[in-house]
Amino acid sequence: MVSVRQAAITGVTAGLCLPLALFAIILVPIPGLPAASGFWIPAGFYFAMTLWFGVWGALGGHIATVLAMGYFSGYTLQIWLDGGLGDLIAPLVAYAIFKAAGARPDLKRRRDWVTWLIAVPVASLVCGLWVHTVNLMFGVITWPFWWVGVVTYLVGDSLAIFTVGTPLLKALTDFVKQSPMYVWRE
Amino acid sequence: MERRYRTFFLYVEETPLLDMHPAVKLLALLTINLVAWLLEAPIPLLILLALLISSYVLLRVPLSRIRRFLLYALLVSQAVVVSYALGSRIPGHVVYAVLPWGAYISDMTLLYMATMIMRFASMLVGSTLLLSAMRDVDVIYGLLSFKVPYTAAFAFNLAFRFSSLFLDDYKMIRDAMILRGAKLDEGGILQRARNYSRMGIPLTVIALRRMNELSYVLEIKGLGFKGRRTHLHEFRWSARDICAVLLLLGSLAAVAALRLATDLLSFPGWPLA
Repeated sequence: MVSVRQAAITGVTAGLCLPLALFAIILVPIPGLPAASGFWIPAGFYFAMTLWFGVWGALGGHIATVLAMGYFSGYTLQIWLDGGLGDLIAPLVAYAIFKAAGARPDLKRRRDWVTWLIAVPVASLVCGLWVHTVNLMFGVITWPFWWVGVVTYLVGDSLAIFTVGTPLLKALTDFVKQSPMYVWRE
Repeated sequence: MERRYRTFFLYVEETPLLDMHPAVKLLALLTINLVAWLLEAPIPLLILLALLISSYVLLRVPLSRIRRFLLYALLVSQAVVVSYALGSRIPGHVVYAVLPWGAYISDMTLLYMATMIMRFASMLVGSTLLLSAMRDVDVIYGLLSFKVPYTAAFAFNLAFRFSSLFLDDYKMIRDAMILRGAKLDEGGILQRARNYSRMGIPLTVIALRRMNELSYVLEIKGLGFKGRRTHLHEFRWSARDICAVLLLLGSLAAVAALRLATDLLSFPGWPLA
């Protein structure tokens, strides 16, 4: 059963990320891919929201991505599976790594920093693998182009998450701890 | 049909599709995409694409709706062409070029490229047709018809509502930062993106406050209470909706069965195989 708080997390995160996703697509477009951005600003936000609030934050990012990408490239199954579901998987991978490593999103200890520095590229890599495997399954690319897409995705996505997400986690985790929705209770 | 507020989707008011049950619209969106994905044979895909395009006329949806996606369709087609021309090995009757790394272009490579472009185009044309009759209430009530919990469907609805609120917040924060001397438009594209992303902290603080307030408001309004709830809009199933569901499910089952059991819908498929 979905609680009211979880609905609020998902709805507000999606509402926050949706204009940012549209903004990222317009501000840093990738020539040749209108629904993509070289600096995926919302990723930093939904990574932070996921590390603070768990799955529901990731779901908000997913809804925002699907709506924003679909706005430019049509609401097709490929877009949903590709960017939309990929952007749900990535923050969840980072969240799972934080859980497994016993790290915290306030990035105060060395363990937290190391986990963050590892989790972001790993999550981006998993997401890049997913996105380009879906493209391959839908026949848009072939195997030789698969790894090129994965590597560019890894670099671009990680850069955006580090740039946007790190200050959010550093500056706001203590503020978020006051919220009853924060998932990392001692 | 009662007139409803327009929020995120810009639907066409003249189309009879608008009166369909929300669940049928969502099911049709999924079915058209799945059918296009299952088809790998060029002629059946061409027939599907022709049917979808003629549905625009039949259902009184302007074909200009597809125009905004034309550039995207062109770019995806270019990606397909480059990818298959440089990186595929599809045996055919005639080989036009052999590349140093072993990939080659045959007559079947060209046919396969066209097939993949048609698959993508069918998804785009079909989805755009249905989106022309989709309102955000359709998404919410459609999800409810598929037994998605009300609170989850409501969260989806919140995304539509809050996106416009956050756009206003974004403008307010940007103006405040500029008034205090921030130079947001300096530097290259990436630097500008970084400058803008500094608005993240005030935006997130607003989001977090809004999240807390919203959860209290929703609890006070009794959103989390169990029991049967009533809805503002009532969508009834008509005989036409039921026929549409049967037709959609039947087509999907038939295509899936033909694809799995025969070679008719696999490349090159009927009638070329």
